[in-house]
Amino acid sequence: MHMFTSPPLRIPDAGRRWVHMALVIVFGASAVIGVWGVYERVAHGHLPAGYGSYVPWGLWIALYFHGVGIAGGAFLLGGLGYVLRWPGFRRRAALRTVIVLSVAAFAASFLGIWFDLGHMDRASFIFTRPAFTSMMSFNAWIYGAFMACAGIAYALSWIDDRGWLKPFLCVAALFSVMFPSQSGAFFGVVDAKSYWHSPLLPVLFLTSAVVAGSATLLLVKWLFPDGEIEMDGALRRLRSILLGSLIVYFGLELAEFSLGLWNPYTHAPALELILWGPYWWVFWIVHLVVGGGIPFALLLTRRVPAWLTAAGLIVVAFVSGRLNVLIPGQAVGEISGLQDAFHHDRLKYIYHATPAEYAVGFFMLAAGMAVFFVGREVTRLIARRLSASTPVLQSSPRAATPAMK
Amino acid sequence: MNQETDDCWVEQSDRSMDRREFVRAAALVGAGITAAAAGVVMHRRRPPPADPTGPATRRAVQALPAPPTGTAEDPLLRMQRDLAHALAKPVEQRHWIMIIDHRKCVGCHACTIGCVAENKLPPGVVYRPVVTEEAGEYPRVRMKFTPRPCMQCDKPPCVPVCPVRATWKRPDGVVTIDYDRCIGCRYCLTACPYGARTSDFGEHYMAGAAEGAPRGTDRPVEGSETPAYAERPAPEYGKGWVRKGHASPIGNARKCHFCLHRLNEGLLPMCVTTCIGRATYFGDANNPDSLVSELKATHDTHTLLPHKGTEPQVFYIG
Repeated sequence: MHMFTSPPLRIPDAGRRWVHMALVIVFGASAVIGVWGVYERVAHGHLPAGYGSYVPWGLWIALYFHGVGIAGGAFLLGGLGYVLRWPGFRRRAALRTVIVLSVAAFAASFLGIWFDLGHMDRASFIFTRPAFTSMMSFNAWIYGAFMACAGIAYALSWIDDRGWLKPFLCVAALFSVMFPSQSGAFFGVVDAKSYWHSPLLPVLFLTSAVVAGSATLLLVKWLFPDGEIEMDGALRRLRSILLGSLIVYFGLELAEFSLGLWNPYTHAPALELILWGPYWWVFWIVHLVVGGGIPFALLLTRRVPAWLTAAGLIVVAFVSGRLNVLIPGQAVGEISGLQDAFHHDRLKYIYHATPAEYAVGFFMLAAGMAVFFVGREVTRLIARRLSASTPVLQSSPRAATPAMK
Repeated sequence: MNQETDDCWVEQSDRSMDRREFVRAAALVGAGITAAAAGVVMHRRRPPPADPTGPATRRAVQALPAPPTGTAEDPLLRMQRDLAHALAKPVEQRHWIMIIDHRKCVGCHACTIGCVAENKLPPGVVYRPVVTEEAGEYPRVRMKFTPRPCMQCDKPPCVPVCPVRATWKRPDGVVTIDYDRCIGCRYCLTACPYGARTSDFGEHYMAGAAEGAPRGTDRPVEGSETPAYAERPAPEYGKGWVRKGHASPIGNARKCHFCLHRLNEGLLPMCVTTCIGRATYFGDANNPDSLVSELKATHDTHTLLPHKGTEPQVFYIG
C-alpha cells in the first residue's frame, strides 16, 4: 500500500531566524511609513488620496479585498483541516494559530476600508442601521457573524467543548466561503460597470482567497512551527492545494477574459486597460509572472525553500489580481465624454495611488503583523498558564474524564 | 494520540465528526442561512424611509396669472405656473420630471455654473455637467450638447446598494441623500451608470491660494482675503450645510436633487432658470396640462442608457 510513500521533506530550519529578523525589519519600516500615512489621512481627510468620483475606490479597497481573501482562505483550510483531521491541522494549537491569522488579516483589511470611508465616525451605522439590499451591508454582517463564530471556536478550543467546537468551526468555515465569494458579488451586482457585472467574479474571488490563504498558511506553518510534529504533512497538503487552486484561478481568469476577447462590446475597454494600458506591467509581470508563472514552477519542485518562496511571491503579488478587477472596472465610463465635461482631477477616469495611500497600505500591513504577533503571544501565554496549572485533558466527544498529562 | 508542548486539550477520536456534532453543525448552518435569507427578504420588502405625505405637504404658492389667449408666453412663466399648481397638491401626487431639448442647447454651461453657485458646490463636485460631442468633419461639423443632471430614475441602482439606507426615492420622484446618515463609502457612485453622483472630498476653492503669500491678516484663507462665497453654507435639503473640518457634506456622496430647497419655496430648479436657450423644462408629469406633459406627448423623447433598465425621469428631445 505504501510503495510510493514520499521520502520525508528536508525542512530548512536554519533560515527561519533570518526570515524572522527580516519580518521584524519589514514591520518596523511599515509602521514608521504607515504612521505618516495615517497622519496624512486623519489630518487632511481624503485630500492626499488619488481617487476621485469616477474612480472612487483605490489601493486601500484592493488591499482590503486581498486581506479578507487571506482571512477567508486561511480559515477555510485551517478550520476544515481541523474538522477533517488533516496532518498538521488536527491539533488545537494549529487551529488557534489559524484563527489568530484570520483575525489579524481581518483587522488589517478593516483598517483599509475604515480609512476609505468619508465618515469614519459613522462606520457603526452599517451594524445599527443596515440595509441588507446592499451587498456591502450583507458582507459586513457576515464578517461579524464569522468573527463571532471564530471567537467562540477559539474560546471552545481551550476547554472541554462537549461536542460544540467542530459545529462552530463548520459554521465559521461556511462564512469563510461566503465572504470571499461575496467580495466578488460586491462588484458583480454593479450593473453600471460592464467588467464587474459577471457571475464568474464571486467564484474567481473565492478561488483567489484559497490561493492567497493557502500561501499564507504555508508560510505561517513554517515560520511558526510551535513544536509542530506533522509539518511535513501540512506543507505537502498546502503545496498541493496551492498548486490546484492556482491552476483553477488562472483557468477562471482566462474564462473571464475570453468573454471580452471574443465579444469586444462587453468587457473590452476594461480588458484593454488591463492588458495594454499604462499599468500593463501589473498584469503581465506582477500578476502573471511573479504571482503565477514563477510560483507555479517553484511549487513543482520538491524543495521546501522553493515552496516557501512561491508562497511569499503569491501573498504579495496577488494584490495585483484585486487591483486589476477594481481599477479597470471603474476606469471605463458609460457616458463618453463625461470626464471632459467638467474639469477637475477628481473627475477623471484615471487613478494613480499616491504616496499617502501606499503609506496607509504599509500601516495596514504593520497592523496585521502586530495583531498576529500579539494574538499568537497571548495564545502561547494562555497555553503555558493552562498547561502549568491544569493537566492535559482528553476531549473525546463525550469524554468527561480528564486525564493527567 | 499526538501530544504537544502547549496544548492542554487533544482530540481523542480519530473520526472527523460524530453524529451529534454533525447534527449540531447542520442546525447552526441552517439557522445561519435562514437568518441571512430572512434579513435580505425583509429588507427587500421594506418600503423606503417614510417622507411626510398627505395634505400637510401642500404648499400655497402664488400662481402667475395666465396670459391672454393667443399671446406667446415664455416657457419659464408657464413652468412657474405649473409649479404652483403642483405644489398645491400633496407631495405623493406630484411626479417631477425634466425634459432637455438638444436642439436648443447651445453648450453655454450656464446651467452647470448656476447649479454650482446655487448649491455652493466645492471643486470636484458637479451635479450638471454638459457633455459635448462633435460629429462630422470641417466644414460640416455638428456639436451636440447633453446636460447630464441626476436622472432621478424610477428604478435607481444607487438606492439598494447603500449599506445604511441613506439614500432613497421620495414620493415625488426625487432621489435624495441624508447627509447626516451617509457614511461616505461611495458604493452608490460606482452603481450609477450616468456618473451622476460625485463625492465631496473636502476640496476648497482657496486651497493653495496661500502658497507663497505673506503671513498675516492679508493672507488668503486665513485672513480678510477669504471670499465670502467660499464660506457660505449650502442650502441643500432645506438646511444650511457649513463646510467646516470633516463635517457633512464633506465626505458625503452628493448629487442633483432638482433643487428641492427651491421647489419648496415655489422656485424652479436653478438650471432651468439659468438656461439661456430655454432648453431645459421642468414640471409635474402627473398634471396632463403641464408644459412637460405636453412636450412629452408631442415630441419623440428618449432617455440616456435605456438598456440599463433604470427608467430615468430626465428625457431628451432631439
